[in-house]
Amino acid sequence: MKKNKVSMMITVLILIFQVALIPSAQAAAITGKIAFEGTAPASPPMAMDADPNCQMMHPDGVSADDVIVNPNGTLKNVFVYVKEGLGDQTFEAPKEPVAFNQQGCQYHPKVFGIQVGQPLEILNSDNTLHNVHAVPTKSTQFNLGMPIQGMKLKKTFTAPEVMVKIKCDVHPWMAAYAGVLKHPFFGVSGDEGTFEIKNLVPGQYVIEAWHEKYGTQTFSVTISSADETKDIAFTFKAS
Amino acid sequence: MPPKEQPTLYSVPKTTVWFAIVSLVLLGSLVWVVYSDYAREWKAWQRKFIQLKVEKAKAELAAVDKKVDQKKLEELEKQHSEALRIFQEHKGEYAKLEKEIARLDMEIGKVRDRGQTLKQFQDSARYFFEKYRAHGDSRAAEYQQKLDSLAPQIEKAKLDQESHEARRDEKQKALDELSAKVRGTQKDIDLALAEKTRIEKKLANVQPTLAKEILNAPMIDFIAPSLRIQQVVLEDLYDDYHFAKVQKVDRCTTCHLGIDQKGFENAPQPFKTHPNPDLFLSPASPHPLEKVGCTVCHGGNGHSVSFIESAHTPRNEEQAKEWEKKYRWHRMEKWENRILPLNHTEASCTKCHKNVVEVPQADKLNKGRKLAETYGCFGCHKVEGFENRWKVGPSLLDVRSKLDKDWITRWLESPKSFRDSTKMPQFFHLENTDSSQDREMSDAAIEGIVAYLAKNSGEVALEKPPVEGNIEHGQKLVKEIGCLGCHTAEGVSVNYFGPELSGMGSKVRADWLYTWLKDPKHYSPSTRMPNLRLSEQEAVDIAAYLLSQHNETFEKQPLPSVKPEVVDKMVMMHLQKNLRHEEARAELAKMSPEAKLEFLGKQSISHQGCFACHDIKGFEDTKPIGTELSDHGRKDVYTLDFGLVHVDHTREAWFFQKLKKPRIFDEGKEKLYYEKLRMPHFGFTDEQAESLVTFLLSLNQEVIPLEMQRRLNLKEEQIETGRLLVSKFNCQGCHTLDGKEGLIRSTFTDLGGAPPILEGEGAKVQEKWLDGFLKQPSAIRPWLTYRMPTFSFDDEQASHLVQYFVNLAHQEVNYKGLVLPETTPQKLEDGKLLFEKFQCVKCHKVDRTSMAMGASFLAPDLTLTKERLKTDWVVNWLKDPQAMQEGTMMPGFFPDGQSPLPDVLGGDVLQQMEAIRDYLYRYAPQPAQNPEPPKPEIPAIVKE
Repeated sequence: MKKNKVSMMITVLILIFQVALIPSAQAAAITGKIAFEGTAPASPPMAMDADPNCQMMHPDGVSADDVIVNPNGTLKNVFVYVKEGLGDQTFEAPKEPVAFNQQGCQYHPKVFGIQVGQPLEILNSDNTLHNVHAVPTKSTQFNLGMPIQGMKLKKTFTAPEVMVKIKCDVHPWMAAYAGVLKHPFFGVSGDEGTFEIKNLVPGQYVIEAWHEKYGTQTFSVTISSADETKDIAFTFKAS
Repeated sequence: MPPKEQPTLYSVPKTTVWFAIVSLVLLGSLVWVVYSDYAREWKAWQRKFIQLKVEKAKAELAAVDKKVDQKKLEELEKQHSEALRIFQEHKGEYAKLEKEIARLDMEIGKVRDRGQTLKQFQDSARYFFEKYRAHGDSRAAEYQQKLDSLAPQIEKAKLDQESHEARRDEKQKALDELSAKVRGTQKDIDLALAEKTRIEKKLANVQPTLAKEILNAPMIDFIAPSLRIQQVVLEDLYDDYHFAKVQKVDRCTTCHLGIDQKGFENAPQPFKTHPNPDLFLSPASPHPLEKVGCTVCHGGNGHSVSFIESAHTPRNEEQAKEWEKKYRWHRMEKWENRILPLNHTEASCTKCHKNVVEVPQADKLNKGRKLAETYGCFGCHKVEGFENRWKVGPSLLDVRSKLDKDWITRWLESPKSFRDSTKMPQFFHLENTDSSQDREMSDAAIEGIVAYLAKNSGEVALEKPPVEGNIEHGQKLVKEIGCLGCHTAEGVSVNYFGPELSGMGSKVRADWLYTWLKDPKHYSPSTRMPNLRLSEQEAVDIAAYLLSQHNETFEKQPLPSVKPEVVDKMVMMHLQKNLRHEEARAELAKMSPEAKLEFLGKQSISHQGCFACHDIKGFEDTKPIGTELSDHGRKDVYTLDFGLVHVDHTREAWFFQKLKKPRIFDEGKEKLYYEKLRMPHFGFTDEQAESLVTFLLSLNQEVIPLEMQRRLNLKEEQIETGRLLVSKFNCQGCHTLDGKEGLIRSTFTDLGGAPPILEGEGAKVQEKWLDGFLKQPSAIRPWLTYRMPTFSFDDEQASHLVQYFVNLAHQEVNYKGLVLPETTPQKLEDGKLLFEKFQCVKCHKVDRTSMAMGASFLAPDLTLTKERLKTDWVVNWLKDPQAMQEGTMMPGFFPDGQSPLPDVLGGDVLQQMEAIRDYLYRYAPQPAQNPEPPKPEIPAIVKE
């Protein structure tokens, strides 16, 4: 019992320490929205008839996912990250893996960020063969066969690269993109079209937004105080 | 009486004075003689090098000194002196222990002696005991007794010795303990200063000392001077001094002192380290200094130790000026074998590396050689070792079926105005034939050649395009089926192996192009253009696309008008070579205008040497017109005609000029039309010309003893034969092979769609299959739009290529086929299970459903495995496909040596891979359920 109490006290102390330290050092954030202008392109249904297993998983069909415009007029799956401004700082790669799922013959998430050296945990939830074929130009390629439902594999990237394409050679419509960075300052726009980059220190940054179809845009931003939250907006136009 | 002054013929005092002067002069000249003999330029360099070494060692010492942790050192020294102090206090104890140990050592010695003596007694007693007992002698009992009494004594001696030894060890330990601290701290100090001590020693070694100076002094420097000439005597290499062969001695290292030492990479010359010590000079390299020396590669006079007389060659004009100023350098005009300029050193490689298509790592030489091959130099110039090259231009035996007269005329007037990238050089209207008179004659010669070709050409049956072509589809095909591996087109230019595909509409007609595309060998059996097995529609479409491109400027070029009197004049010039003037006139009068032109054409072809690159009727056995170049790397400079041109009188300068402006040495000379220089103008860039100069300098018939040459074994010879074929047919335009990246691959973003990598192909596929495939290829990878063309290799070529591939992969050529590894029914079952669980057929199948996905998602047909693949390769491939072929769509199923199916074959990865292999070699596809043909049918566009 006594032992337990002591360890609890230590834990609490550590927690207090952490809470006291981190937010005071890095509390600034950049948030924003990815607006979309113009009419959303038509999303043709994806032909999955090549693999009956895939087709069966989508009885009502599924439409192409390279451009997804949210109901509120924002653009989904835009990767936003700090491109410049961190200098020579180094950041340890988290041990916590990024989960990457192959489900319904689609990738979840389709766009994501990951740190160099951080494990990518790849899961096949489908009852069919997928191969995860990452084609980075700066790290070594990997191409793994995942024939068994539920099987998991872990991989890492060795060099930063925005973006690394991940494809499945068995199912040509499948494509995902990983933003591999040396730091944790990135976000991806979701169903609301918003993103958030947290825990920044004051400084001047160049922020870049990337989209699979609409390319990249950059934005310079200055954070002057440690608790500032900068709101910025990107607008992608229909081409 | 005062002595009478003797009358003398000379004045003694004066003589004495003169004698003194002469003695002084003599002494002076003696000193001068000794000094000038002593003060050699190389000694100055050696002194400088010593200085450099001292400076370097000092710098190192300073650097090391900085690294030594002074605080720590002080601390260590403090500890050491403390230890010493304590030790001093216990000195009495130490001495006592030492004494005690000495006493014990003596005791041990005594006891050991006693024991040994007893043992000798025992041996002797045993001998007699055994002897008497065997003879039944009664004395046996006596010795028995002796033996019995000796045993306990020996035992006791042994125990005594052990107890003494134990005591001694104890004392020794105590002694060691007393001095341990002192020794330990001393060791720590030594360790901290080890690097410093090492460098200090080195510095002491190189630093000049008085003793060294004395040994280097004049008159006594024959004993053991530290400044001395360095030389390498090369046992198996000789210098050819006309009529005398002298063993090669290279004294270059007398001044180039840092050449084989590391650490002088940034030193000033002559002390710099060799830029590539792993390839040259170092004992482990393929060209060790002791065996190869310097001048066999660099040229120059190895015997000399003087900068000028060793025949140094400056890199450029600027350096020449610098040298003239600094060293009063001048070129050794009469010494032919001067040091090669650094940009041409690779030329020497061929002295020993013979009979190879490429010399390893000699990029510039290889480039020059390839250029010579591509531009057809060997057509006109005989070069020993290159007799097996081919004619580079198209055959003109049936040219009438392909080209019309006007096109040929315009082309001969100026080939580059049709296509800037053409390899056809310019023959006419060059700087030495630029006067209006010469132009008229050249125009007449061109018309003659055209007339001769038209008259002396056969005709081939041409097929008319059966349908209208689709230009867009044709363009797509040009991009996608493989034309770009050899031809420049569509903004893609990976090489100019075949002609650039431009302006074809201004050159050829639809029926010729259609027939050509369908089967190039129909028009020209000797062509290197392979057959792409095009369908009618494909050929029509490509033809339509190519013909849609015109070169209008070229089409609009006016045709020259030729005056009959010029033709007459030229015909007369030729006739008069063999006939008297009047006879020639009569002969000319007999000729019709057409016959005159044809005659002039034949003479012109033979004068210009067109047949060197093109097959032309009537010139089947004509000798090439150029100078033989077999030994041009050693050509005596005085035999080169520099004319009135101001260039350096060196081989390399002459060659360069000749390549850049082949007619330049006619400048300022008065010559008749047919006497003028006739080497055509290729339009080489400076870089190309420089590589070609390296190649020309490499043509050298110097005799190097066989044992010094890089001789090829049988396998290497076979590889070289293959390499020549690979070069001839441009395999590396598409395929990565033999260490070279397939050129076309750079244009692919998705390498999965690029032509396959053929590294290690000889270990992958079976010889019999490869032989058949080379002769008659068929699609293995239906998802590739690039098509392996049919080269129509004959038996010999195919077997050369098979040997090439197999030897490159370090395997033995074996046409016998496979011995299948033994297996068990259970393993086959497991293989089948794995095959199904891994869902291999998802990609490795060829049927209608997979075709619906688009051709790009298929993999090779596994029913081919039995005939096509080698068994070992299959296992290696399954292990890690990405490692064997980066970018491949084949995924690895055993990442990090783990199987996703741990239940099969105990999860043993190797066993699983073998099981899959065994299953594949016995695999037959399930018969189709619908009444489709058992062999999968693939649309023509994919499988031809």
